[in-house]
Amino acid sequence: MVVWLWSALLLAILTFLVIYPTGMLLLGTLTDSNPVTDGYQNMHLSLGNFATVLANPNVHAALGNSLLACTGGTVVAVVIGLAFAWIVVRTNTPWKGFIASAGMLPLFVPPLVAGVAWAILGSPKTGLINTMLARMGIEARVNLYSMAGIIFVFGMYYAPYVYMFTAAALRNMDPSLEEAAEISGAGPVRTLLTITFPLIAPAIISGMLLSFVVMLGIYGIPAVLGAPADIPVLTTYIFALTSWAPPRYSTAAAVAMILMVVTGILVVLQQKVLSGRSFTTVAGKAFRPRSLNLGPWRFLTLGLAFVYLIIVVVLPTLALLVAAFRKFLFIRDFASLFDGKQYGLMHFQRLFANPATVNSIINTMKVGVITALIGGVLAFAIGYTVNRTQAPARRAIDVIATAPVAIPGLVIGVAYLWAWIGLPGGFYGTIWILALAFVARFLPDTIKALSTSLMQIHRELEEAAWICGRGVLSTIVTIMLPLARPGVVAAMTLLFVLAIRELGSSLFLYSSSTMVMAVQLLGYYEGGNISVTAAFSLVQMVILGALIGVAHWLSRGAADGGVGRSG
Amino acid sequence: MKRMLMSRRQVMASAVGIGAAAITRRSVAAQPFTPSAGLVEAARKEGKMIYYTASFTEVEQEVINAFNKRFPFVRVEMVRASGGQLITRVKTEAAAGKLVADVVDHSDRGLMKALEHLFQDYAPPNASDYLPSALVSPRLWPRLTPGWSIAYNTELVKNPPKTWMDLTKPEYAKGQIGQVIGPSGGTTWTRIMFERQVLAEDYWKRQAATKPALYPSGAPLSDALVRGEVSIAPLIYNAILPKKRDGAPVEIFFPPEGVPIVPYATGIPKTSANPNAARLFLDWSLSPEGQAFTIKDQGNLTSLKEPPFNPEGFDPKVAKVWVPDFKQFVELHDKWLEEWNTVYGYRQ
Repeated sequence: MVVWLWSALLLAILTFLVIYPTGMLLLGTLTDSNPVTDGYQNMHLSLGNFATVLANPNVHAALGNSLLACTGGTVVAVVIGLAFAWIVVRTNTPWKGFIASAGMLPLFVPPLVAGVAWAILGSPKTGLINTMLARMGIEARVNLYSMAGIIFVFGMYYAPYVYMFTAAALRNMDPSLEEAAEISGAGPVRTLLTITFPLIAPAIISGMLLSFVVMLGIYGIPAVLGAPADIPVLTTYIFALTSWAPPRYSTAAAVAMILMVVTGILVVLQQKVLSGRSFTTVAGKAFRPRSLNLGPWRFLTLGLAFVYLIIVVVLPTLALLVAAFRKFLFIRDFASLFDGKQYGLMHFQRLFANPATVNSIINTMKVGVITALIGGVLAFAIGYTVNRTQAPARRAIDVIATAPVAIPGLVIGVAYLWAWIGLPGGFYGTIWILALAFVARFLPDTIKALSTSLMQIHRELEEAAWICGRGVLSTIVTIMLPLARPGVVAAMTLLFVLAIRELGSSLFLYSSSTMVMAVQLLGYYEGGNISVTAAFSLVQMVILGALIGVAHWLSRGAADGGVGRSG
Repeated sequence: MKRMLMSRRQVMASAVGIGAAAITRRSVAAQPFTPSAGLVEAARKEGKMIYYTASFTEVEQEVINAFNKRFPFVRVEMVRASGGQLITRVKTEAAAGKLVADVVDHSDRGLMKALEHLFQDYAPPNASDYLPSALVSPRLWPRLTPGWSIAYNTELVKNPPKTWMDLTKPEYAKGQIGQVIGPSGGTTWTRIMFERQVLAEDYWKRQAATKPALYPSGAPLSDALVRGEVSIAPLIYNAILPKKRDGAPVEIFFPPEGVPIVPYATGIPKTSANPNAARLFLDWSLSPEGQAFTIKDQGNLTSLKEPPFNPEGFDPKVAKVWVPDFKQFVELHDKWLEEWNTVYGYRQ
């Protein structure tokens, strides 16, 4: 009975958070009216709107560009991510720990910031890289305002996703298979290609699909790099539809549906891949992943890692620094780049002269904490119910909780607005509406992050507690929570970071008193001030860096204290 | 050519006499704004107001700062969104009975006219000083009146254009010129109407032939011009003047064929919780003092019959302002924008 009630409660929460807003979105695609303003009784439901959108050649162009950019970006991400994972896990390259943590940094850079930084570096006319090339007397010029540019930046910034999946798989792999190959006379490269990579293929494919899905939903990078070259992708197209006067929401919602379908197919595919093949290499016996002695070649791999870090971390940060501290971004030649008179703190002064800046930082912190707490608890409840119990309807709970992965933030913002503005009480216009939208939107990511750590805890520990007479709740509190603490902290940190970066769903839900950083950043960008935008980006990066440092320290403390792990 | 000039003159003359008003520019020093003690007291009691605007964050923050210099006791909270997003927000909030704005400020008078019923009766004390042509509803007022200019990067352009027609010349081809897309909002819509009605029926075609770089809105374009991404761009004067003042390598001029201006529509919703603060803000904004501020400090024009001031570089003897016919502004909108998109190869 209690179990039924519990399942019903979770389903009710998910209905409110996921099904109801998604329903509103679906309604939006089938009508050309705004359900809130025009009233439900005046709605004309038809498939006409959707059919028109499907026949629109511009939608085809945006879809084609999206698929091309994401496929290209994924290929680049897989090459980089896989190489990185192999260097860190399986070789004796020096400073591996440093490389591993620095390589994750791109995950914390908001896409709009990445786009702006690379526009400053790689614009065909004014990019710093081209200024340097001219200085060196080299004829060649780079142009990141192009499909190739989007692919390159996508690949660079989303390689960590592939890295996360493949590094874990490489670490868990039994090295005896590779040893067998080598004994049979296969060289290291052949072993890598015929044994190692095929064995971790499920992880590679998972990372690949995930990075593809994430790229598909990114607005900032194609907005900055694609707009000057007139390369629309689905997200920038949706954004344009919502900002034209008058806006075209039903078209935007229909385009979003296409995005959802593509994403949905990929998510299903990923789950198929994961369930269809098992990691038979992960055996019961203990082993240590073997690390390959590269000899002098290890400095080559170190060099490669450094090149990557320079490209994704050092160069963009330098670009932002130049933009944030330089009076004007018109750079006549290389020498003027080092003209001290051109630099100063004016953009930071302007940034902080606007009271909205500090307010947005405070609001963002509040939303981040609320989201992390509510989302963490909910994700733990769902993750535990789905993975650890026989509760009824747990399969349905799992599916619903995963669905938001497929919904692009830009459009779900409007859906949340439509769905929740009518609720009685002062919910609309508060921080809570933003926090709940983020909880819903990032539920899949949080559950995913948590489930891994839940799965690592062996059942026998819980069973032992039950045998000793503890109840379910007591077992969770005394056994599961302490053991899963590092995972819970990590999941909450992830949620916090995602909430801070989130732009799309904030756009329609913030009010004058709940303005958040991401919206304020877009405001500065749209206000045409790259320098203030860069200054604010740097402030954001420093804040994020500090917070992640604290969280890392917290979870490390927890991990040190957590003993008795099994399985 | 002569015929064209004639017709241009006719259009100018019919452009609601604003030009004439501007010519007889009187250097009336902006009289200081003196609100009634009762209004000030009531606004002080409310202590805050919520301001929805489609203008730019930084531009409006300056307006708020100037207002707060006079009336520090009214805290102004701003929500800035692009034209389409702002209209959606206002409509949706109003339908749910949760419109929290005390002032709504928008560049598209057509869209605002359609929402007229949401606004309360309001007129500033100097209502009769405003040009009838800039008013679309007795409830909505042109708080801001930006005007179009042409700007160029002085480091990159050695032979600058001097007129709107110069922007069709092949010497400025291949992405040297930046243009804001037609459907970006009321401001651009005004300019492209002007181009077709005043400059030439085929102006778009000739201009598009130079292959301009297209930008989603004026603000990023002004930044791109300063950085040298493009060399020449038609821009709202207020988007580029502050950069020039800060020392950016740009020059700006008002083309002789005409200066399209975009009177905003600003009003106080019926549901305003701080109507007195809103009234004080709008009375001040619309007063000669407030208008002089937006002209002098921000590079706007004004819809006052007698401008208290002219922006630097604006010579009313040479530059004639142009206001679109409001009926056509609404009726031609969809059809012409579609044609503009086709001519410029912009996807929609």
